[in-house]
Amino acid sequence: MISATQLTKIFGAQTAVDKLSFDIPGGQIVGFLGPNGAGKSTTLKMLTGMLEPTSGSATICGHDLRTDVLAVKRNVGFVPESGAVFESLTGLEYLEMVAALYGISQSAARTRIQQFIAFFDLSFDTLTDKLLGAYSKGMKRKVVITSALLHNPPVVFFDEPLDGLDANAAVGFKALIQMLAKEGKTIVYSSHILDVVERVCHRVIIIDKGRLLLDGKPDELVAQHQSGTLEKLFTTLTGGAELERRAEDFAKTFRS
Amino acid sequence: MNPPPIPSEAPPRMTSVLRKLFLTLFLRGRGARGLNKAGAPKSVGQKLLLTLLVYALVGCMALGFLHSPVFVFAAYLHAMTFFFLGLFIASSAGEILFNKEEADILLHRPVTPEAMLWAKVRVLIEVSLWLAGAFNFPGLLVAALTGRWEFSVVHIFSTGLEAMFCAGCVVLGYQLCLRWFGRERLEGLMTMVQVLLAISAVLAGQILPRVIIPLTGALKLEDSPWWLFLIPPAWFAGIDDALAGSAAGSSWLSAVLALGVTALVLWLAFGRLAKHYEAGLQMLGETAGPKIARGGRRRWLDALVSAPPLCWWLSNPVSRSSFLLTLAYLVRDRDVKLRVYPGIVPMLIVPFVFLFQNGRHHAGTGAAFGISFSGAYMGLIALWGIQFLQYSQHWLAADVFRYAPLVGPAELGHGVRRAVLLVLALPMVVLMAAIVWLLHGASGQMLLLLPGMILLPVFALVPGLGGIAPLSRPPDAAKSAGRGAHMIVALIVSMLVAGLAMGSWDAGFFWPFIGAEAAVAAGFYFFFKLRIRRMRWPALD
Repeated sequence: MISATQLTKIFGAQTAVDKLSFDIPGGQIVGFLGPNGAGKSTTLKMLTGMLEPTSGSATICGHDLRTDVLAVKRNVGFVPESGAVFESLTGLEYLEMVAALYGISQSAARTRIQQFIAFFDLSFDTLTDKLLGAYSKGMKRKVVITSALLHNPPVVFFDEPLDGLDANAAVGFKALIQMLAKEGKTIVYSSHILDVVERVCHRVIIIDKGRLLLDGKPDELVAQHQSGTLEKLFTTLTGGAELERRAEDFAKTFRS
Repeated sequence: MNPPPIPSEAPPRMTSVLRKLFLTLFLRGRGARGLNKAGAPKSVGQKLLLTLLVYALVGCMALGFLHSPVFVFAAYLHAMTFFFLGLFIASSAGEILFNKEEADILLHRPVTPEAMLWAKVRVLIEVSLWLAGAFNFPGLLVAALTGRWEFSVVHIFSTGLEAMFCAGCVVLGYQLCLRWFGRERLEGLMTMVQVLLAISAVLAGQILPRVIIPLTGALKLEDSPWWLFLIPPAWFAGIDDALAGSAAGSSWLSAVLALGVTALVLWLAFGRLAKHYEAGLQMLGETAGPKIARGGRRRWLDALVSAPPLCWWLSNPVSRSSFLLTLAYLVRDRDVKLRVYPGIVPMLIVPFVFLFQNGRHHAGTGAAFGISFSGAYMGLIALWGIQFLQYSQHWLAADVFRYAPLVGPAELGHGVRRAVLLVLALPMVVLMAAIVWLLHGASGQMLLLLPGMILLPVFALVPGLGGIAPLSRPPDAAKSAGRGAHMIVALIVSMLVAGLAMGSWDAGFFWPFIGAEAAVAAGFYFFFKLRIRRMRWPALD
């Protein structure tokens, strides 16, 4: 479903993504991890056709990112970290607009939207009467997730999807992506909440400074590095090993 | 769940879906936090209707030219249309064409950059045509009623063409920047492009009527100065004159020029260079922003703020922080820069036009008028600047001022005011004084700048009376009618004072007038300062 080969993105003198290569088959949930500034969002933006790679190549469902970007875009859904929406549209107007961009008729879109609002426990009145600017962060996030799945894409990229969701919605969302994977969809899940990644993902890819550090099944990687948890493995790999001592040093500054 | 199939081809209605989206966003504004649907469209409708009504009222001034030759009447209408459309398109285009949030929402959808560009330009042209229609309506109606219906028909066509030319020029300006300077420098260049486009619109809109008006009633197109045909509105007036007026050879030449240049601009902007638009949009989606010069500028600024006289002027740490925050946003923030500079600079063109128009008179009423009214405009710079600085895309971040242990926004406001006075007002006043000196020498008439300058510190306090912290309001609130009304009232007061100053100059009691003005201004100054100092945070809605 997703195949990246030597994918590279350079901004001026800064290499954000450095020769990243991986293959992700259908039906897999892949945790895409890395510390802040590691190049996760840039990689996702390249794979969704938002950014042109400086070098390297990638295919999504067999469509080349460089030569057939529109076909790539039709086959992916994306929940960006920003959770940006057009705030002066109502939720329904926004979702119908997105559906129209994928060529879904208004009646088909309505049916699909009804199913999503039932799943997310949203009120239809809110969706029709309130502008998105008046929604809570969690409600906005639910609309963004719905907009990413409306066209039933075979590949879905989630960048911090749980941000703003309440506990129930988060549990429901995790169940949803597991069901989507069972139906054969490829899920790329980028998050800093590592225990969720450990529980939900079949595989994790860890990058730092744009480079691939590790790629494998979470339990196997944890066992291989004898780290106990994915969180410990992650902090060891990405230079966070002395965090507790640094926190202690920092706390001391308040005592002086 | 029964999913709809993934369409294999790009949906044919793509441009119309996007056009509907961008029109809705334009009319409702992009940020609508706290609004419900019932409130938004209604207020938008009222606002739009009011705007169109104001344009129509301003358009009534054209009735004064109704009995002039066709070219004069058409030139006035086209010049003013160009002025209003140019300003509108230049001020809206940056936000419409290159919106940062939009990248996250639309760039991963199956939308071609051409479809997005076309949809946005259609909205720009549509709204431009509404505004142009409202402005031209009184003149065209009366022309049609008085038997010049053929002029009305031709003028509608030429105005439509003019709107397309204006939109095409703006898009072409951005495309050329992308091509010549690359997408990395687009962010920094956008403000300059927008300012230059706005200046061009004001110059073209202001110069043509000033050339045409003295010639009213006696003009033959052939007698016009050659450079008149370098001004775009004159080309479009040529269409009107060729088809519904004198049909002189030079009119036909102008008409051909109008058609040819418009076609060329549209072809370049939407055909030849459209692919650069995608590059510009991608740049906004990139996570790595433009680099800030490491240390250099900030070190220089810190040294400046720590040394006298600024350290005395900014002795309060809150004011100093607010001063530095304002400078940072005036230099770095694209959204603020696109609002402040294109908003202020075109307004300042008018006094320069006054000055140069009357520059040939070294003494007398013409020169006095130019200097006095230029001074009055200069007195308003700080007010405009501070008002624009109340709005930011990061307005929610301004809550930090409320968390901080501050009783009200007074000290923050002082910092903003001082930054605007130092970096916007002072350079402009010095420049204006230098131009007056160059044009008129060290004549006593330079003193006519004083009445405007005396008002400057008083007007600078006016935005603070609202109790609004810097950068704390959403950008769409900047379009409110209330803000425009404040500016118009200030402009009227300023012009009134300039007029009275001219009268006192002619009548020989200028210094008593200055004394009285200074006393009244001082009274208002201290009253406003007291009010601002006592101000507490207004309730959050």
